[in-house]
Amino acid sequence: MCALCGLLGTERDWSSSMASSLPMRQQRFLRIAQANRILGFFRLTLEDFQGVSYVLSSPTGRREIVSDFGQLWPVAETLVGRPIDPLDPALLTWLSSIPQ
Amino acid sequence: MTPTPSDLIPLIVITGFLGSGKTTLLRKLLTTDLGGETAVLINELGEIGIDHLLVGEIAPDTVLLKSGCVCCSIRGDLKDALIQLFSRRQKEEIPRFRRIILETTGLADPAPIFATVLADPMLRHHFSLGVIIAVVDSFNASLHEQLHPEWMAQVTSADRLILTKTDLVPEQNRETLRKHLRKINPTAVIVTNAEVKEGDPLLLSAGLHEDSPESEAERWIRNFTHPIRQQDDRADVHKGHEDSEHPDVNSFCLVFDRQIDWTAFGLWLSMLLNRHGRSILRVKGILNLSGSAYPIAIHGVQHLVHPPVHLSGWPDSDRRSRIVFIVRGIERDAVERSLNTFCRYLGSSSF
Repeated sequence: MCALCGLLGTERDWSSSMASSLPMRQQRFLRIAQANRILGFFRLTLEDFQGVSYVLSSPTGRREIVSDFGQLWPVAETLVGRPIDPLDPALLTWLSSIPQ
Repeated sequence: MTPTPSDLIPLIVITGFLGSGKTTLLRKLLTTDLGGETAVLINELGEIGIDHLLVGEIAPDTVLLKSGCVCCSIRGDLKDALIQLFSRRQKEEIPRFRRIILETTGLADPAPIFATVLADPMLRHHFSLGVIIAVVDSFNASLHEQLHPEWMAQVTSADRLILTKTDLVPEQNRETLRKHLRKINPTAVIVTNAEVKEGDPLLLSAGLHEDSPESEAERWIRNFTHPIRQQDDRADVHKGHEDSEHPDVNSFCLVFDRQIDWTAFGLWLSMLLNRHGRSILRVKGILNLSGSAYPIAIHGVQHLVHPPVHLSGWPDSDRRSRIVFIVRGIERDAVERSLNTFCRYLGSSSF
């Protein structure tokens, strides 16, 4: 458990298992912010849910609980109804056009 | 609490086609006295030619070998077999082995074995994945490649490629096969059966989960630094190994000068593997992360990624991040452009 923010560290996804100098909650918010930059292209939003999981929302009001980052992309694809491909040139153009 | 590498029992996987020489290799690895350090999981006790090494049955489906190793056949699924073996070890019914060798059936794809160990909440606290050894029958390699897609899955997922029956093949063809294998899987160590020693530590290795993962990382780096000269290879490709057999299985190494932001990289790779997991047969790399003085090693098979491992030092003087991809039908430029964009525009420094 992280003594600073009371998070249990239950995420099982491989990308969460890195030691970081940041407190867990701050690390969590950083990941959410980064994921939202990508998800913005699909008009989806990711929010923290009680420090244990995440809520992914679509512009039409559909919401899904996501337990860890390993689950994020399959759930996002279901909400959007089409494949989410990081090699898609349109997505890459969108990412590079977001104001810093 | 997260288990340290030495708490975990490595699971070493031996794959290869029927008759390719898996049992011969296994016999060689087991003949030396390892003091009961190895447990072997096989599908059928009767099928394996280890009768002369046998001491007796110590439990149902489990026999003791002369070297002190235990050999156990799998009834039902792999998960049950592993749990049962582990609990017998804890109860001291069988020797306290330090590693498990799993011999798969001929037509097995190693990826589901990974999934079993990495995803199961109980197994992942007791076992880690050791090296994957693929036994390649030199004489029948091109035939196997043409007829069975599993051959490619075995070769691409391997950390060690063992060439058997090399005496049946002319010198020139052996060299061609080596080049061909190196091109498909530049990250694996290729040795012939004759070069394998009894109880060879190169094969009985926990790979990145060894106490010092640096030596495994060094092996990768050594192979990365020999660039895959595609055109040269193509020039002396032998008839039996035409590129057209697998027109799109390809490997490439991406090199990055800039430090990589871990969060951005993690999002990118999980996104890529979610969409293209079937086409990305292998990912192996050493990353120079921003905010960290030491590199980390990552490796994945298809859509599964091992937990990243921190290395205590760089294997050579090169401080750049290097990632090798073995892919089917995916363009290098597309992957490179995508990762560059993600790192540049998502990195935490841009917040």
